[in-house]
Amino acid sequence: MTDADIIVVGAGPAGSCAAIAAARSGKRVVLIERGPFPGSKNMYGGVIYPRILDELIPHWFETAPIQRWVVRRSTMVLSDTGALNIDYRSNAWGQAPYNGATAYRPDFDNWISQQAVAAGADLICSTTVTGLLRDDQGRVCGVTTDRPDGNLTASVVIACDGVNSFLAKQAGLYPNADADNYTLGVKETLSLSKHIIDERFGVRDNQGVDIEILGGTSGVNGGGFIYTNLDTIAVGVVLKLSKLSAQKKRPEDIIAELKRHPAIAPLVEGGQVVEYSAHLIPEAGLEMMPKMVADGLLIAGDAAALCLAAGIWLEGVNFAMASGMYAGQSASAAIDAGNVSAASLKSYTNRLNETFVLQDHKKLRKIPHLVLSDRVQHKYPAFVTGVVERMFRVDNPTPKPGVRRIVREERKKAGIKLSELVRDALTGLKGFG
Amino acid sequence: MTIAVCIKWVNYSGPVESDTPDERFAGFSFADQAALEWALRIAENSSDEVLVLTAGPEGAEAVLRDALSRGAHRALRIDIDLTNDSAVIARSLVGAMSQPRMVWCGDYSNDRGSGSVPSFIAAELNIDQALGLVALDLPESANASFTAVRRLDGGRREQLLISGSAVLSVEGSTARLRRASLKNTMSASKQEVQVITATGDRVETPALRPYRPRPRVTLAPVGLTALERVKHITDTSSSKGHGETVHAEASAAATLILESLRKWGYLP
Ligand SMILES: Cc1cc2nc3c(=O)[nH]c(=O)nc-3n(C[C@H](O)[C@H](O)[C@H](O)COP(=O)(O)OP(=O)(O)OC[C@H]3O[C@@H](n4cnc5c(N)ncnc54)[C@H](O)[C@@H]3O)c2cc1C
Repeated sequence: MTDADIIVVGAGPAGSCAAIAAARSGKRVVLIERGPFPGSKNMYGGVIYPRILDELIPHWFETAPIQRWVVRRSTMVLSDTGALNIDYRSNAWGQAPYNGATAYRPDFDNWISQQAVAAGADLICSTTVTGLLRDDQGRVCGVTTDRPDGNLTASVVIACDGVNSFLAKQAGLYPNADADNYTLGVKETLSLSKHIIDERFGVRDNQGVDIEILGGTSGVNGGGFIYTNLDTIAVGVVLKLSKLSAQKKRPEDIIAELKRHPAIAPLVEGGQVVEYSAHLIPEAGLEMMPKMVADGLLIAGDAAALCLAAGIWLEGVNFAMASGMYAGQSASAAIDAGNVSAASLKSYTNRLNETFVLQDHKKLRKIPHLVLSDRVQHKYPAFVTGVVERMFRVDNPTPKPGVRRIVREERKKAGIKLSELVRDALTGLKGFG
Repeated sequence: MTIAVCIKWVNYSGPVESDTPDERFAGFSFADQAALEWALRIAENSSDEVLVLTAGPEGAEAVLRDALSRGAHRALRIDIDLTNDSAVIARSLVGAMSQPRMVWCGDYSNDRGSGSVPSFIAAELNIDQALGLVALDLPESANASFTAVRRLDGGRREQLLISGSAVLSVEGSTARLRRASLKNTMSASKQEVQVITATGDRVETPALRPYRPRPRVTLAPVGLTALERVKHITDTSSSKGHGETVHAEASAAATLILESLRKWGYLP
């Protein structure tokens, strides 16, 4: 008899949801986390879209440790001195059933792992899984850990060990891991009083703001973000790894530069840095996804590159929770069927294909590369802000120029060919449309 | 026989003040961990039972279970109001021990404790104490005497020969606590922790206050130049030594120390 039915590696959102789903179906589940408690080693920008939890934890919003409910979503395009901000507000998002929320990962991940414990999973912390155990036919049948006497056997292992998953690599599921597919996310958490945050961001009570930024990354391909917590704000950048190392820039310098931008400085002024953190992001979406199933093994969340980084969206937690949940359900069904081969576990990828998890990725397949392309990064911010600047500038007695003329002149000034603009617009339309 | 280890459930998160530690950031100090490790090492060479105790609220059982998973044999929590002073806490711990062969403690906890519980335990049990140990030799057999090095003020060290029953408190650097096996970690949450409720007959202690030296009458400095007056105030020109060496029996020395502390304003 195995030590457990299902071992879940990593108590991030993917792992805990996998454990909840599996434990609810009556399986003996062991959830192993390397940190001293779930969330202790985890970082992200700050906004979660937890709609998928309706299925797993009804009324989750009554107990989840939320900082603020996002009622304003903005996309900002920054040139060196200008800024175009598209801002949408809906106070309805600040009421049940809510849309997005800011939360601290040590709180959120810990809370969701406790739901797994309540469902019957055994949570083992401060324990690092160091490898996969295989039976004599090469099928995954457990894990090794860094503890004395640390092997543990199970019918199915679900690897939710996050980006750069060593387990998925060890299982041979990532044949061509390429640094170009990753970005480095870097974040400062700044302490500001709740009152100041409410005033600066135009919100009240526990209403929050999510600002995604294109440009402002000191010439390194990437993007930025600002999110509001109750009495802190998160300001960060996401930087293409290969470009960052080629340009020999320091990520903390890039955040400092972003904070000095005239459109950002008034928002972050006076904030005291209380935390600095960094983490990789699997940015390339479908282009980099590994095989997600092997005999006795499933991978979910960032480990399977299921993170959607598409400019106006940086969503990973919801994809992690959903894929984890489906992995837990499929593993459990395969055990019930008495067959945990890759073929039997395929119901997992079927489920991903049927739902937003892979459908969004497929639809937006070309977007991550488009957003991080040199043209979008280095030419479009100046072009877009140039157009808007001239549209709103009043040069009397000179009459207003037509928009078409402005666009043509600014496009030329930014060095963008019409054919390139049309091609990018079509790619964008196809992706976002 | 029993080797007792006293550990304290404390908040690791440093500057965050909280009466009930956030369980995510709580644990036991490196000094307490080292104490447990020494007890486990000694028990390995003998037939002793390692009893691990803590005085604290229910959440403190987490550190006891952790200690059990690392090899302690029995765990006991004393449910007592932690605002009691160290003497009361020590008495409640001793009441739960029954004739231990040794008592191991960390030399101080992470929550800026006074580090005085070990000496109160020694007083309650009426056995020797060796406190603030920075190095130890593992005894060769269960009842063999062994040497330990103790930290003194001014960077000095004192070597002690320990034989018979004693209370020992160690610094965190003396030993690294072993990791628990995976199986023990998995079963830790199901381990039984005995609970004793202690009422804690409160001892009223005088209110503590920050150190304020007694006011001294200082005459106006004499001297024609500013330098002379500064020298006069600061006493730098006098050849008088600072400090005095006294040879005395332990109890007389203790009385002298108390008298001096009173004279200098450290004690009311
Ligand atoms: C800067 C940045 C900003 C982001 N912003 C957002 C955002 O605003 N909104 C959003 O939805 N997403 C965001 N993301 C993406 C999001 O953080 C991830 O997609 C999400 O955390 C993935 O969840 P996961 O459970 O798959 O992996 P993780 O959250 O990485 O969890 C993996 C867990 O596994 C544990 N682990 C790893 N290896 C082992 C091992 N060998 N043994 C035991 N345990 C192990 C880790 O300690 C960790 O707890 C951001 C990411 C970054 C880096």
